[in-house]
This record gives sequence, structure tokens and C-alpha cells, in this order.
Amino acid sequence: MRAFVRAVLEEWGDAEVVEAASGFEALRVLPREAFDVAIVDVNMPDINGLELVSFMRKSAAHAKTPVLMISTEAAHTDRERGLALGANGYLSKPFTAEALREKVGEILPGRREG
Amino acid sequence: MTGDEGSGMREEFLAEAQEIVEALSRDLLIVDQAQKEGRVDPQQVNEIFRSVHTLKGIAGMFGHSAIGALAHGLEDLLDDLRLERIALTPEVLDVLFEGVEHFQRLLQVDDGAEAGIDFDAFAKRIGQVLGAQGGGRSGDPLAMLDLDDSVLSVLTEYEEHRLRSNVESGVGIYRVRLRLPLLSIDSSLEDLKARVKPVGEIITYLPSMEGGDAEHIELVVLVASTESLRALGEAIAFEDASIEPVARRGATPVPPRAPTMTHPENLAAPPRVPVETRHEMATPVPPAGQNVSFDQLSVRSVAKTVRVDIEKLDHLMNVVGELAIIRSAVVRLSEGLRNTAGLRELAIDLHRINRGFERNLLELQNGILDVRMVPLGQIFEKLARIVRQVAREHGKEVRLVVAGKETEVDKLIVEELSDPLMHIIRNAIDHGIESPKVRELAEKPPVGTLALNAYQKGKHVVIEVEDDGAGMNPQTLRETAVRRGLLTPEAAAELTREEAYNLIFAPGFSTKSSITEISGRGVGMDVVKTNIARLGGVIDVQSEVGTGTKFTITLPVTLAMINALLVRVADREFAVPITAVQEAIVFEKRAIRRVEGREVLTLRGATLPICRLDELFGLGRPQEPDRQFIVVSEVGARRMGFVVDELHGQQDIVIKSLGPSLQKVRGFAGATDLGDQRVALVIDVPALVEELASGNELGRITAGGYS
Amino acid sequence: MSDELVSKTLMPGSSSPVVAGRSELAKSTEVTREFLAFELGSENYALPLASVREILKPPPVTGVPRAPRDVLGIISVRGRITTVIDLRRRLNLEERPLSKASRILLVDREDEIIGVLVDRVHQVYRLEPEEVEYSNVMGSDASDHFMGIGRPRSASRSARGAHALDDHSILILLDPIPLLRR
Repeated sequence: MRAFVRAVLEEWGDAEVVEAASGFEALRVLPREAFDVAIVDVNMPDINGLELVSFMRKSAAHAKTPVLMISTEAAHTDRERGLALGANGYLSKPFTAEALREKVGEILPGRREG
Repeated sequence: MTGDEGSGMREEFLAEAQEIVEALSRDLLIVDQAQKEGRVDPQQVNEIFRSVHTLKGIAGMFGHSAIGALAHGLEDLLDDLRLERIALTPEVLDVLFEGVEHFQRLLQVDDGAEAGIDFDAFAKRIGQVLGAQGGGRSGDPLAMLDLDDSVLSVLTEYEEHRLRSNVESGVGIYRVRLRLPLLSIDSSLEDLKARVKPVGEIITYLPSMEGGDAEHIELVVLVASTESLRALGEAIAFEDASIEPVARRGATPVPPRAPTMTHPENLAAPPRVPVETRHEMATPVPPAGQNVSFDQLSVRSVAKTVRVDIEKLDHLMNVVGELAIIRSAVVRLSEGLRNTAGLRELAIDLHRINRGFERNLLELQNGILDVRMVPLGQIFEKLARIVRQVAREHGKEVRLVVAGKETEVDKLIVEELSDPLMHIIRNAIDHGIESPKVRELAEKPPVGTLALNAYQKGKHVVIEVEDDGAGMNPQTLRETAVRRGLLTPEAAAELTREEAYNLIFAPGFSTKSSITEISGRGVGMDVVKTNIARLGGVIDVQSEVGTGTKFTITLPVTLAMINALLVRVADREFAVPITAVQEAIVFEKRAIRRVEGREVLTLRGATLPICRLDELFGLGRPQEPDRQFIVVSEVGARRMGFVVDELHGQQDIVIKSLGPSLQKVRGFAGATDLGDQRVALVIDVPALVEELASGNELGRITAGGYS
Repeated sequence: MSDELVSKTLMPGSSSPVVAGRSELAKSTEVTREFLAFELGSENYALPLASVREILKPPPVTGVPRAPRDVLGIISVRGRITTVIDLRRRLNLEERPLSKASRILLVDREDEIIGVLVDRVHQVYRLEPEEVEYSNVMGSDASDHFMGIGRPRSASRSARGAHALDDHSILILLDPIPLLRR
């Protein structure tokens, strides 16, 4: 899954992709770097994606980082909550490379041309 | 260390839960009465709701899931009730009463399966009652949790589902706060997961912005667990971790249950329990101004009562008994010294010290006895429910009037008294009180009255159960006894009125219907009588046709330690409880007369039947002593003189029961250790008086049981 | 001294289900190999060691009027009133007054500890399966409480104490539950 996202994004446009295997890994990475976009799966092994979004929105460094949430199709509540917490876009699994590119394009400021 | 403390916590829970259930039971009876009179106080209903709610809270906290689940079910019903979404009907009351009984059973056996409660059936009953009235609440249990929306909003559907189902089944929810280094966070969390797994379930991890820095992060972990706060804390035992229960909030603010003594500096402390704490009852202290959660408060109020195993008290009583024996040895010693030249001074000192010892010993003994005392109100409440239930079953209307429920009796007696009283009451409603129609024909008020009256009379407690029902007809009783082959028609005809009433206590007399199909226990009044005799008590009955029946039970106040008169018969020493002794007199053999084949004396104008204990007990001796004594006993309205050889003075003794192998031997209340390896049998005076007083035809029939 | 005898050897299987009925015993022979042998008249008897809690020198026994005939009376064992039966009476043997060697065995009868008066306590035997003949192979006329016959072979095993049995003696193995049944 992560590999798929990485491949899509790298192939799409010269992106540097930092992977985090879990929510905590993300927490470890987030304070150190700035990102153009964060792609967050709701269901992670430790903290969930919603919590990560909530955390990011509360931290100064990532309050404005665009976030794309990924979850399963049926989880409407997860989707609504994610958006309410400040996620910028939402994508339900499974998705195509095209759909991913489209969503990321939507939420990435200044990259609309892709 | 967890074993003992765990059980300590459990007992504290049980003590508090017991109190709540008792209050619940009281309130329910008040509401029941009010419902009949059509003036229900909404405040009272709310009170009941709150009791159940609190019960659910502490059950969750102490991990009693059966009680938690039961409370949860009832809470829904009560919530609808107090919000007047449904009406308080007799059916609703029945369910509530049933619920209270379930609670009581659960508190006794600790386990839903053992209690034999069909939770599903009960839930169905609640559903039916709700359904019948179009009630039924769809309230979200999560709304009951004192969790911020900000927390709820970051839960995934699955996490929310886990949280909800845990809350619904009464599992406690805890917040565990951890501060972890970011670098090693994964291994720390693996560790945490492993520790939580045996005791609960991790619902979610919430990263918190507070308390974190570049290297650390603070996490709040929501854990569902049936364990107590303490047990969970010990299981997790994480450095720098703190745990607090997530309170369940009532729809109405719950006032503090007990005045709380909180120091100002404590008020400022955060509401957490450091996990490593080893202090007794680490109680979370609520911060000032924050809504006080009653879960926390109930932990604190628990500390005011201690539940003590009665065996521990028995042990203490044994120690007191040993001390009393030592004391009498010292007294003998000091008396010996007094007659020794040159040691008089010493003897006087010793005597004085011993007096102080005696005083304190007495105080200790009374203190222990006092701890064992519980008010009869405990069983009266249970009986009130029985009255209600049986009356409904039989389509009768019964008003219960209770007096003297504050009368205190030894815990052991109260426990043993419950069944006999229940049986008498069932009988009174079943056979005594007439149906409303019959009563109206007899120009009686349609609602029958059952009076339960207790009072202390000297060292005895008297309990009266009186109904205003049909009464018993002595002639009918005589005929029944003949029909059951207990008496010949001639013997039956000779019975006095009183004796005829007492036929109901004869084994094999109980009519089929009085073996109460209701209780299914097949207990007759003879068993009632035996049980009461075992407690050292007697039961009498008076009745008047058309007016009613009254049972009078006379019991000793306490069983544990009694003052006894030590006597010698042949070469044996016996103890006679002093409560049964009126006086001891010199036996004037010439004064003996024979009346109906029995030896009697005239004592102050009244006839006193005589019993020679040596003959009764088959104790032989070379020759009868010249001088003998009579111990005059009075039990209830009956008197009896027991002939003994020597009087050895009074002594406090601890009665110990004879083993199961001697249970069938009648006439002894137990035995007592006199020290120096001497053991004396304690004479069961009420039993002997009964046995001898019924020495007519009936007595000879029952005597088949004696060996 | 006799107390020591028990406490040293009681440990294995002391809480084992020896106190079950005879049918159970066949299954639990592993734990019923240890027996405490004692003397009653001219016979040697033995009870499963695990059922014997303690051995006492007889204290004064208080007779209980109206009690069954084989009940000798009651004693206080550290404050607990304990019923003592005279095993001679229970087994219909000729009565005999107490002697210096008389002992009371405190035997666990599931719901109660019963004192059992015997003439003399010998020792603990560990019987191999081939040294025990269970009564179900002895014929049907044996009483309930006769568990079987023990034939300890080796003299070396009975070397303890002066009252050891000689090699040719047999032990009548008793089952405490039926023996002490009310």
C-alpha cells in the first residue's frame, strides 16, 4: 500500500516521499520536517489517522499541512470525522493511481497543473 | 501482595454495594406503597435511579461485570421512568423488585452463574415492560461517559464500537496517561500492549499536545478493563504513567455522597493516580471547580465501613475466652497467695491488677459482641418483599406494619432467622389472611394486616408475627393430627387449646399446602421450630378464630459468649446459660409430689416440674448425693427445675458448636472449653424444656428421634 | 514425636483425593500408597496417610449423653470441639481401657475432622501396588470401609521404631469415608 502510494507519487512528479510505518513513526518524523502533503490512513496499528490529523492540526508546524485521509469505503463516520478534524481530502480504498493523483492535486497548493 | 489487597478492594466494593442495594430496597418499598396510594414522589424515583446508577459506576470500577450489566439494564428502565416516558405500574415495580433481589443474590455469591440468574430472561422482562408502554430508550451509552467530544471525534468507527460495547457491558474505561520518548515509542507501546492485554483492552492512543517536546510525547491511552483501578495500575506499572477512571456522568448532577475533607493543596493536584503509588486507596482528587465524578467519591466513602468476616470475630472471641480462662487462673493464684504468710501484700496487689484486667476484658468482649450486632431491619426489608410477592401470588391484599426494626441481634442469629420468619410469613398470608371478598363478608377491612414487631426484653429479643386473618381452629388441628396418625382420637381430645395450637410444630403435621409449593423447600413448621431452638430460642403460637394468629419468637441477643452457670451432675460438668436460669435452690426431696407421673415441686405457690438430669442423660453414680440443687429455668412461659449435684459458679463461656457427627444429639447447644483441657457440654435449656414440656402423647411421638 | 512422624511424610498428596470412595481409589492408587499403620487389639490396621491430619496423646474426653454408642465423646483441639470415636466400638471389637500407647488420630472425613481412638500407632508404610490387594478382588462380603489388605514385604521399610511389624504381618487398609460415616 505504502509502496503503491510512493511509486505513484514519485513517478508523478519528482516528489520526495517519507514513509512512516505507523502513527508513532509519523509522530517521530513530523516535528523534524516540513511536508507539502501528508497522506494518512485512518487505520494504523497504533494511533489512528484521525488522531494524527488532530495532532497535526494542533501543532504549530503542521497546522496548515494539507492532509489526505485514506480509509475503507464503508466508513462514513471516519470520513466525516476526518474532514471535521481538518483533513483536506478523502480517498476510499481501493483507489486507482489516477484517483490518488487527482486528490493530491486537489489539495496541493500551487500544483494544480498536474 | 495483590491477593489480599484485591480481596480487600472487593470487600469494600461489596460493603458499599450492599449499602446501596439496601437503600434501593427501602426506596422501592416506599415507592411501592406510594404507587398504591397514587401519590408517587418523582424525587423518590430519581433517588432509585441514582442508586442504580451509582451501583453501576462502582461495579464497573471494581470490575463486577454481572452487577454492572444488571444495573445497566435497570438504569434504562429507571431513566424512562424518571423522565416519565413510562408510567410506574405494578408490572414495572415487579421488575424493579426482581432486580433488587438479583443484586442481593449477586452480592452474596459474587458470580452471576452461581446466583442462577437468567440475565437474558430478565433483560427480556425489562424489554417487555418498556415495550408495553412504548418506552425504551435509545440513549447512547457513550454519552454517559465523561469523555470530551474532542476525544470522541478522533475515534474511528471501530474504536467507537469497541468503546461502546465495553461501556454497554459495564466494563470500566480508564485513561492512562504516559509520557514516552519518541525514539523508543514503538517498543514502549509493545510493552504497554503486552501488559494491558491480560487485564483489558486498549481502545485507542490519543497523542496529546501537552507535556510533549521534541524528544517526548504525551499519550492518553483509553483502556477498557474489568479490573479495579488499583489492579490495573499494578498491571501496567509504567514509569511516569497515571491512570484515572473515566467517570460516567449521570443525566442529573449527583451531589457528593459524603462530606469530603480535602486540603486546598490537594485540590490543585491533577486528577490522577500515579501508577507506582503504593498508598492505600489512591483516590483521584478532583480539581477545584470541575464537575465532581461520583466514581471517585464512592471510592472515598467506602473507606468508612469495614466488612469483617464473622470467622475473624469468632477467632477474637476465642481469644477473649482464653483470656478469661487465664484470668480465673490468676484469681485462683492470688487467692492462694492471700493465705500464705508474708505474701498478703503481693496478693492484694495482684488482686487489684486482676480487677483492672477483668474490667478491660469485659470491655473488649462487649466491643466484639457489639460489632457482631446488626439491626433486624435487615431481614425485615427482605420480608417486606416476600409479603408483597406472596400476597400477589395469592391474590390477597396485605399491609405490612413493622415495628422495632432497629432492634439489634447477633449477626449469626439474624442470618439463621431469615428462613423461619419467611416461612411463618408465607403461612400467614397463605393460610391466615383471607381473600378480600371473604374478609368483606366477615366485615373486616379488605386489606389484611401483617404486623412484624421486634423488641428487646432483658437479654432476649422477642419477635412477633401477627396477622388479622382467619385464625386457627383447635378442633380442626386436633382432627388433622388424628388424620395424619400423630395422635389417637382420645389423646387428641385431651389436648388443651394451647397444646392443640402447638400441634402445628409437630413433625409430619404440616398439611400439603403448608409445605409451601411456593418455596418448594418442603419446610414445615416443625423445621421452623427446630431452627429457632438451634438458635437457643423458643416459638409460641396464639390464635383466635376469626381474629388472627400470633407467633412469638424469643431469642437470646447473642450467641457468641454467654455467661453460664457451671454445674456438676454425676462426674460430668455442664454449663447452663445464665439467661435461662432464674434461680438455684436447694433440692428439698421431701417436697416432691407426683402429678401425672411427673415429679413436681411447689415453688412460691406455683408448680415447678422437675427433671433429674442424671436420669435424663443416663449418668450413673454409686449413690445419690445427700445434698442436691435445683436450677430453676424459665423459657418463654414455661418453667422447669433441673436437678444437679453441685453448683460451680458462673463463668463467661464461648459456645462452640458440636461437629456435624453430633448434630442429631438433642439437648445441647454446643460445648465450651473450660481450660486445662476440660470441655463441658452446654445444656440447651429451651430444647430440654420443650422436650419435657411436651411429654404428653405428642412428646412421646417426637421422642422417636432421640437416641 | 508422633506428630513429627506425620508431618515429615504428609506432604506428597496430602491434599489429594484419597478421601474419595472406594471406586475412586482404584484410580488414585498413586497417591494412596502411603498408609499410617496402627494397632487395634491383635490386628494391624492402616489409614491412608493423607487422611490423617494429626496424632494426639488422648486428652481427657468429655462424654456426650445421647450420642451414638461408638462416640467416645468430645475434646478440644486448639479451641475446636472435635468428636472422638472409639474405633474398637465402631469395628465391634472388645473394649479396652486407655493405655499409655493409646492415640487419637485426627482423620479428615470431608466435612469434619474426627478423632479416632486407636491402641497404638506404628509407622508409615509406602506400599507398592503389588503389595496391596484391593477388597474388590477379595469378594463381596467385605464391609464398605475395608479398602483391602496390605502386605509390606521388606523389613527394611519397617525399620523405624520398636513397634514395627514383623515381615509376615498384614495391614487391614481402611477407607476413612465409609468408616467414619455417620
